[in-house]
Amino acid sequence: MSSAEQPYIDPSEIALEGSAAERFKSPNDAFWTGIRDAAGAPAMVLFAGMVGFGAMGKTNGFDVWFTTFTSFFMFALPGQVVLLEMAITGSSVIAIALAVTLTSTRFITMTVTLFPQFHQKDRNRSLYASVHLLAMTAWAISMREFHAIETRHRLAYFVGLGLLCWLISIPGTILGFYLAGMVPPAVTLGLVFINPLFFLLTFTEVKPWINRIALILGCIFGPIFFFVDRDTSLLTSGLVAGTLAYFIDRQFLRKKAGVIG
Amino acid sequence: MMNTMSSALSGWGLWIALVGACLGTYFCRAIGVLLSNSINQDSEIFRWLAAVTYAMVAALTVRLIVMPLGLMATVPLWIRILICVLAMGVMVSKSTKRLVPALLIGTLLMVGYGVIR
Repeated sequence: MSSAEQPYIDPSEIALEGSAAERFKSPNDAFWTGIRDAAGAPAMVLFAGMVGFGAMGKTNGFDVWFTTFTSFFMFALPGQVVLLEMAITGSSVIAIALAVTLTSTRFITMTVTLFPQFHQKDRNRSLYASVHLLAMTAWAISMREFHAIETRHRLAYFVGLGLLCWLISIPGTILGFYLAGMVPPAVTLGLVFINPLFFLLTFTEVKPWINRIALILGCIFGPIFFFVDRDTSLLTSGLVAGTLAYFIDRQFLRKKAGVIG
Repeated sequence: MMNTMSSALSGWGLWIALVGACLGTYFCRAIGVLLSNSINQDSEIFRWLAAVTYAMVAALTVRLIVMPLGLMATVPLWIRILICVLAMGVMVSKSTKRLVPALLIGTLLMVGYGVIR
């Protein structure tokens, strides 16, 4: 894309056809390259988010098992934070499950765009296990790199990438939980602030107008519904603001030339 | 301030909520695998679902920043907003990826406030 993204372009992309076929010698090689590609900025940001989540669990009075289980079995930060927030305010079990499931629907789109790029022989039942490793970080890197990777090595690369991200999230959560109990309150304050700040910052990278409108409307409707009924407010503001954004896009934006829908 | 689960779900209800949340999250991942052979990612239902998800995460973020619970509630609102604005400024100051410095600066500013107050 732009020259701004140059550091992210792999040299092997330049002579695409020739080198794509040769990039990895074996699935093992692809797996370890996936791990190496994850280590660095992507894993650091994810790790920081998980540390923040652990601190959030601790300061809100959850135990270390509950907090860590969510990272291990859900591995989806926004959903995990929704779970904590709604559990603290005493929402019903049904409302919590529904709200968390709705925040996770992004995984459907992510899987549908990524998984058809695997080799035909890899597209079997085992994908139902690998898909647990899918999260924003691994998805974004895979989408960027896959076209320069031979199809039969893509799954190994993805598993390496996702596995590292998943595995570091567990110690990250535990570390955050215990740090929040030991460090001065000032540091705990910083840890608890990581996730809201992280979500806020990622909003600036959202490109399609329909989703930008949804973000703005969500910011407006969120507090309104919070005062109407706190327990269901995430659910209602998401549904109302999202549906409104969808119709605004459908009625007005999509027909305009030059606006990316 | 450390234990604020006064009106919270507790005991079994909490764990049932966790199981429900885990199943719901995995369900979405599995449905994606199931559909990845047959569905068009640009279909209307996905556009709507994406919009709902973004709106919900936005509402969550505003809630965490403007109407937080526990420790964060002891920080004045204008400080929280000021730090967010400064971090956003760092984020959009260049077209390159600025996530790590922006996140670091915002977090350190919050720690800094905690130290001097």
